[in-house]
Amino acid sequence: MTPLFGKLFDQLDARLHVRADTRKSANKVFPSNWSFLLGEVALFSLVILVLTGIFLTFFYRPNVEAVTYTGSNPVFAGRTLPAAFESIVRLSSDINGGLLFRRLHRGASHLFIATIVLHMLRILLTGAFRKPRELNYFVGIGLLTLAFGAGFTGYSLPYDSLAGTGIRIAYSELLSLPLIGDRVAFWIFGGAFPTGDVIPRFFVLHVMLLPAALIGTVGLHLFMVYRQKHTQFPRVGVDGHQLVLGKPLWPLQFAESTTLFLWTGGLLAAAAVLIPWSDVALLGPYVPGEVGNNAQPDWFLFWLEGALRIFPPIEFGIPGTLIISGPFVAGVVLPGLIFTFLAFYPFLEKWLYKLEGEWHVLQNPLEIPLRAGVMLGVFSALLLLSAAATNDILSRMLGIPIEVMTWFFRITVIVAPIVLGLGIARYARRRLNRRQRHVPSTETEAQQRYIAA
Amino acid sequence: MSDREAEQTRPDLTIVSEETPPPSQANDALVLGSAIIAALAGVGFAVGLALRTSITVYGTALAIGLLALGFGIRRYFSDLFPDIEAVEPRHPEQQATEEPVSAIAPLQRRSLLRNALIGASGVFGLSLLSPVPSLGPAPGDALRTTDWRRGTRLVTTDGEPIRADNVASGGVATVWPEGSINNEISAVILVRVGDTEFKDPTNFDWVVNNELVAYSKVCTHAGCPVGLFRETDNALFCPCHQSTFDAVRGAIPTFGPTARALPQLPLGTDAEGFLIALGDFTEQVGPAYG
Repeated sequence: MTPLFGKLFDQLDARLHVRADTRKSANKVFPSNWSFLLGEVALFSLVILVLTGIFLTFFYRPNVEAVTYTGSNPVFAGRTLPAAFESIVRLSSDINGGLLFRRLHRGASHLFIATIVLHMLRILLTGAFRKPRELNYFVGIGLLTLAFGAGFTGYSLPYDSLAGTGIRIAYSELLSLPLIGDRVAFWIFGGAFPTGDVIPRFFVLHVMLLPAALIGTVGLHLFMVYRQKHTQFPRVGVDGHQLVLGKPLWPLQFAESTTLFLWTGGLLAAAAVLIPWSDVALLGPYVPGEVGNNAQPDWFLFWLEGALRIFPPIEFGIPGTLIISGPFVAGVVLPGLIFTFLAFYPFLEKWLYKLEGEWHVLQNPLEIPLRAGVMLGVFSALLLLSAAATNDILSRMLGIPIEVMTWFFRITVIVAPIVLGLGIARYARRRLNRRQRHVPSTETEAQQRYIAA
Repeated sequence: MSDREAEQTRPDLTIVSEETPPPSQANDALVLGSAIIAALAGVGFAVGLALRTSITVYGTALAIGLLALGFGIRRYFSDLFPDIEAVEPRHPEQQATEEPVSAIAPLQRRSLLRNALIGASGVFGLSLLSPVPSLGPAPGDALRTTDWRRGTRLVTTDGEPIRADNVASGGVATVWPEGSINNEISAVILVRVGDTEFKDPTNFDWVVNNELVAYSKVCTHAGCPVGLFRETDNALFCPCHQSTFDAVRGAIPTFGPTARALPQLPLGTDAEGFLIALGDFTEQVGPAYG
């Protein structure tokens, strides 16, 4: 601590009495493993998203009225464009540094969601969701949902050709809700697609509501981690059930996190130079009735897009009142079931293995056959659905007719996850039998076994 | 500093292992080098932006600056402090208490009154949802009708009316009701098939010159524009989810996720030979709605 900083801290302490609490926080121990940093990268991405997003907000025009672009971009000079798209072109071509901020924002949004998904995968595979952390696991699922919402609204705002198509599909998904679909769609869109209200509304969601909810929920998430302390991997000689082992916040974890933050920013800047994220000039503005080939959402919605593509043609009911349609089942029911199942998985595991007490030490998923099977099954299904979102591209690349490609995915997306899930669960069960073990029902039992090994 | 002394200055940190790095001039050089690079990159970023160079210049400077600064800080800390592993108890001794959360007990049980207030709060809370319908108009006929009327001319996106003999064979065109260009739900794809007979369930009354037929362009699956035409088998194809329709058989779906045909526009010609609608679609346009 430098003398100046020390003096300032003394003054602060004299008024707020923070020395004891600060020292306690400085001594807080952080278990160290690379996979514990995924959540941190997500947090840093969020910081970068907010900072770059503020800059973008100063220039973005949230409406679709026709305006004439008078800037320097040769593709659009003199053309009449929707104001939202025009402001994005202006940001990219005429505002000094605007393109850098756009690409940093776009890159950070991909990294944000990617690291949240990987973080969630780590939590699910190692069992960090078990008691006492079930509540924070729910909060985490809420964060992922909010991140999807922020990602989709952000993808829509430029109002380029793909964005307009994505909004149209979202509108159709709302329409597909039985009984209330048309009303809900009109409430959210302010009328029939494409009304002038959807872009200003998505803008408010994207720059106000969702960021506020994200920041608040992240705060809750971190508060609970702080309060409940971290999980950790098992280590010989340390009773992880009673003790947290790791590096103190000051100075070691502080140095680690600061570095990570700066490197996250540095890599995003490098990516902004190397990758032309969302080059709107290639796409052009949204025009009703037009869409190009390779119409795809952002990668994190590929699984939904894939489900829409390969779901068989069904539609029955009373037209205009109660309809059960493919887009409803594939785009609303299926994701609802997957999210609900993942959210309540901790209780399934607890019930099946009669788990008791608190759990703080992480496990190899092969030690718990149910978890190994379920996670491989669910995530292979999600990956296959995502792959199905590229069936047109695969069909062209491989020279396989689109019909064959689609049927391939219709079958494998059901068969492969079942085979893989059952296979790995069976393997894990045999592995346990070979070592003459069973799934422990308390952490103390698990720890004794680890020490014995 | 010996371990014993360390314990004395850190009574609240239980250290498990402690490694003191040997003083290293190489590390000092790395820290100093990183600092210099980061500072230069910072200048480069600012100057690059001020001179309006390009994202390649100032983006690279920003990347190098952040990476170098991170590296420098990491190396600086690695020599400044010992590498410590410590433990802390998961469950610091808490004063277990069985006391109720509140120290003040109610004077009497008034469950009826309490339940009445809870119920009223629920009813009142639900009533706060009543502004929701103000968010958008009631759908009414908006999803059932389009801007096509008897006698409406078909026009291109540029507003030009279309003569029956002016559509390329084996070609498609996006057309709109005159006066309603870009009215999404009214988008129509006009198809002139090659040497093919139309088959059921095509409405033959709405086929012009035995070769021109018009269908809603809004896909009945998820509402994307059915934009592609495959001449070999007269297939209309949606690029979003690959729904495929047979243009000579009333646009019934032949593959993909949609279950419903594209509605056929009642098509005819007026006295001057321009294509017109004979009325609105008779089936529901676009995706299913509940």
